[in-house]
Amino acid sequence: MVKGPGRFGFVALLLWASSLVMPPALAAEATLDRGALATALCGDGAAQAKAVEGVLRNSAEATSGDLAWAGTILRALLDRRLACLGESALVLDRAGATDGRDAATGTARPVTGGRSPVLGLRQRALIETASGAASLLTGADVELRRAGLAALERRIATVPEALLLRAASAESDPGLRAGLAAIAQSAALSSVDPARRLAAIRAVSEAPSGAAFSRLSALKADAAYGSDPAFRSALDAALARVERAVSIGNGLAVLYNGLSFASILFMAAAGLAIIFGLMGVINLAQGEFIMIGAYATYGVQEAVRRIAPGWLDAYLLAAIPVAFLTSALVGIAIEALILRHLYRRPLMSLLATWAVSLFLINGVRVAVGSQNLQFAMPPYVSGGVPLYADFVVTWNRLFAIAFAAVTLVLTLVILKRTPLGLDIRAVTQNRDMAACLGIRTRRVDRLAFGFGSGLAGLAGVALCPIYSVNPGMGANFVIDSFMVVVLGGVGTVVGTLVAALGIGGANVLIEPLYGAVAAKVIVLAGIILFLQRRPEGLFAVRRRR
Amino acid sequence: MSGALDLSPGIPAARRRGLILGGDPLLAGLVGLVLAAALGLVLLPPAPYLVNMIGQLAAFAILAVSLDLVWGYLGILSLGHGLFFAIGGYVCAMHLLAHAYVVTGTAPDLMQFMGWKSLPVYWTGLTSAPYALALALGLAAAVAFVFGLASFRSRVNGVYFSIISQALVYVAMLLMFRNDTGLGGNNGMTGFSLLFGWPMGSPGVVTGLAVATLLSLAAVLVGARALVASPLGRRMLACRDDEARLRTLGYGTTRLKLGIWCLSAAIAALAGLLYVPQVGIINPRVLSPDLSIEIAVWVAIGGMGRLGGAVIGAIAVNALKFWLSAAMPEAWPFILSGLVLVVVLGLPNGLLDLATLRLKPNWLQRAGPQP
Repeated sequence: MVKGPGRFGFVALLLWASSLVMPPALAAEATLDRGALATALCGDGAAQAKAVEGVLRNSAEATSGDLAWAGTILRALLDRRLACLGESALVLDRAGATDGRDAATGTARPVTGGRSPVLGLRQRALIETASGAASLLTGADVELRRAGLAALERRIATVPEALLLRAASAESDPGLRAGLAAIAQSAALSSVDPARRLAAIRAVSEAPSGAAFSRLSALKADAAYGSDPAFRSALDAALARVERAVSIGNGLAVLYNGLSFASILFMAAAGLAIIFGLMGVINLAQGEFIMIGAYATYGVQEAVRRIAPGWLDAYLLAAIPVAFLTSALVGIAIEALILRHLYRRPLMSLLATWAVSLFLINGVRVAVGSQNLQFAMPPYVSGGVPLYADFVVTWNRLFAIAFAAVTLVLTLVILKRTPLGLDIRAVTQNRDMAACLGIRTRRVDRLAFGFGSGLAGLAGVALCPIYSVNPGMGANFVIDSFMVVVLGGVGTVVGTLVAALGIGGANVLIEPLYGAVAAKVIVLAGIILFLQRRPEGLFAVRRRR
Repeated sequence: MSGALDLSPGIPAARRRGLILGGDPLLAGLVGLVLAAALGLVLLPPAPYLVNMIGQLAAFAILAVSLDLVWGYLGILSLGHGLFFAIGGYVCAMHLLAHAYVVTGTAPDLMQFMGWKSLPVYWTGLTSAPYALALALGLAAAVAFVFGLASFRSRVNGVYFSIISQALVYVAMLLMFRNDTGLGGNNGMTGFSLLFGWPMGSPGVVTGLAVATLLSLAAVLVGARALVASPLGRRMLACRDDEARLRTLGYGTTRLKLGIWCLSAAIAALAGLLYVPQVGIINPRVLSPDLSIEIAVWVAIGGMGRLGGAVIGAIAVNALKFWLSAAMPEAWPFILSGLVLVVVLGLPNGLLDLATLRLKPNWLQRAGPQP
C-alpha cells in the first residue's frame, strides 16, 4: 500500500466535512449504560443484536473507558468466557473457570449456577465487528488495532464513517493510518450523499495510484454512472487523470530501475574497460571480483556483528574500503602470477581468466557454501519514499546509484588528476613510447589491474542490498558488462558510462514490452549492428598499436 | 589465385597430392587409431556403456576439430561454438521425436506439456532424416554466415569477436529456456525411442551410433587435413599471422574467414547431431557460455593449430571428466582450472609440447609470439 500525503489530506478533508454535518449534541461524548448492556448480552438474540448495534453506532462518540469495557465484555462473550447469573454477567479469565468478576461492578464472585449465553451467526458477526471497533479505538499496541481494523473491514458496510474518522485522527502508526484512510475513502465513494461522493472521487484522484484507478473503475458499474451526468463526468475526468499519472509514475519507476541496473553495470564495466584499454586483456573473472566484493561485505557484516553489534547499521559503509582492497589485492595477485606472462597472447589470457573464475567460484563454494548470503538491511537501504503515483524511490537502488556516481567521479579524478592516471593514459595510448619515456609500464599494468578489480569489488558492495549474493552471482553481470565495454569503446570512462546507461536503459525499457529474453536479444542485435558503423565503439581512444 | 603462388614449402606438390596425411604423422596415426577402434567395436563389442562413451568422446573430438579449424588456423577464437553444436543437437532431437511420433503415435512430451494438438509448423518434414541432416548443417552455417558477415565485415576480431560470440550463445540459451519456443523449453527434449525404426538403446543401435561417429571423426580429420594442407590452408595461416598484410597483398580475407567459419559451424552441428542420440537428451544447458569456453579449453590443452592436438585434448579432458566427475565431483573444477593454467602458462602448444620437451626446459621464460 502506498502512503501519500494526499491520503492524509483527504482524511483531514473528511474530518472537516463531517464536523460540518454532525449535530453538536452527537459530537459530545455519550456515556454507555454498562449495566443495561450486560443484561442485554445475557438476553435473547434480538436483545443482543440491538444492544451490540447500539454500541457500534455510538462507538464514535463513546468515552475510551466505556469502549475498553465494552471490548472486554464482547471478547469474553465471543470466547465463551461470559457467565450470566440472573440479571448480572460475570467475565471469567478462561473458559470454564470457577469464579470471575462482575462485568458491571468489577467485584469477584463465584460462577456457580451461571450459564453461558448462546450466540447466533448474525449476532456473532455483529459482536466481532463491535469488538473490532473497540480494539481499533482502544487497543494498546499496533497489532491489536490492526486486527480490529481487519475485523471491521469484513463488514465495512455496517461501520459508521465517524468511527473510522475518529480512529484515523487518533492513530499513530502510519501504515495503519493509510489503511484507515483507504477504507474511509471507499466508504465515502459508496456513500448515499452525491456531494460527498463527488468530493471523495476528487480526493481519490488527488492521490493517483494503481489501486485508486481500480477503485474508481469499479464505480463505472454504479447505477449513478448511467443516470447522473455530473457524477459521470466527474468520474471520467478523475479516471483520465489517475490513468495519466499512473502511467507517468510507472515510466519513472522503469527509468529508475534502469538507472540502478546501469549503475551496477557501470561499476563492473569501468574496471574491465580500463584493463582492456591498457593491456588488451578481457578479464572473464570480472564477475568473480564482484562476488569477492560482496563476500567481503558479508565478512565485514559478520565481524561488526561480533565485535560491535551496536554499529551493525554502519557495516555497509565500513565494507567499502575492505571490499575495494580485497578485490584489488586478489586482482594484483592474479596479474602478478598469471596474466603477466600472457600479454602477447590475449586469447590465451581469456582462457586463463576463465580458469581463475572457475577456481574462485568453486573455492568460495567449498569454503563458504553455495547458499544465498543473508544481509542485515540498515535503515538507509530499506524502504523508500513514494514520489509520484506508484513510483517509489527505494533506498537500496538509490544507494547503488549514488555509489556509482561517487565511483565515477573518483575514477575520473584518478585518471585525469593523479600521476598514476597520467601513466595509465600514456600507456593506453602508446605503450612503447611511454616505456621509452621512463614510465614503468609493468608497474602501471599491475596497479591498473588492481584498480579495475577494486572497482568490481565496489560493485559487489552496491548490489548487496538489491540482488542475491552467492558464488555464481558474477555470471549475471559479466556478459552484460562485456557488452558495455564493446559498445562504449575501450579505455574510456565516459564511453563506459554512456554504454552502461544505454544497455541498462534498453534492457528495462524493452523488458516490460516483450520480456527479458527479447530484451537481451534486441540489445545484442543492436550492438552487432552498431559495430557495423563504429567497430571501435562509441568513444574510441586514439592510439597506436 | 591458387595457381599463382605455391606457398607450401617442404613436400613437393606431386607427393602432397597423393598423401594428404603424409605431412602429419600424428594425425595419420590418430586416423588409423580411430578406424581401428571402429573396427574393434564391430568385431569385439565391449560393454554397451563403454561403447556409448567412446561414441560421445568421438563426437566431442569432432567438435574440437571444428573449433581448431577457426582458432588454430585462422586465429578466430569462438567462445560460442556451443551454439552450432546445439543447433545440430536440437534438429537431431526434433527428427527423433517426429520420427517416433509418426511410427508409434505417442505424442512427444513437449506437446503434452504445452497442451498442443499438433507439432508447430517448423517441425514439418523433420520425419525425413536427409532433410534433418541438411537442415542441421544448413541452419548452423546460415546462423554462422549472418553473425560472421556482420563481424568480419566490420573487422571485429580478436578478443572482441570472442566475447560477442559468447554473448550470442548466452542469448541463445536464454531464448531456449523459454517454453513457448516449441523446442522443449527448460526441460529440453528427451525420451527418444526410435532411430530409423530401430529401438534406441539396443546394443546394435548403440554400436552403430558409436561407429558412425568414429567414421565421421576420421572423415572430418582427413577432410580438415586436406583443407589446411591446400593452398587455401596456407592462406588461412597467413591470415592468422598477419591479416593486414594478407589484405594488402590483395587477398580478400573477409570471404576466406567467412567461408571457413561457416564450414566450422557445420562441422560443429554434425558433432551435435551425432552426440544427442547417444546421450538421449538435449536441453538449453548445452548453450551455457561455460560449456562453449570448455571447447576452447580442450583445444588449448591438446594443442591448438594441430588437428591431432584438438582430438587429443577433447578426448583427454572428457575422459578425465567422465572419470572424475563420478569419482570426486568436488575436485573436478579445481583440476580443470589448474590444468588450464598449467597449459596456458607452461605449455603454449598444449600437451603436444610434452612430446618435444627438452631436458633443460625453457618454458619458464615468456612464451614467444602466439596468436
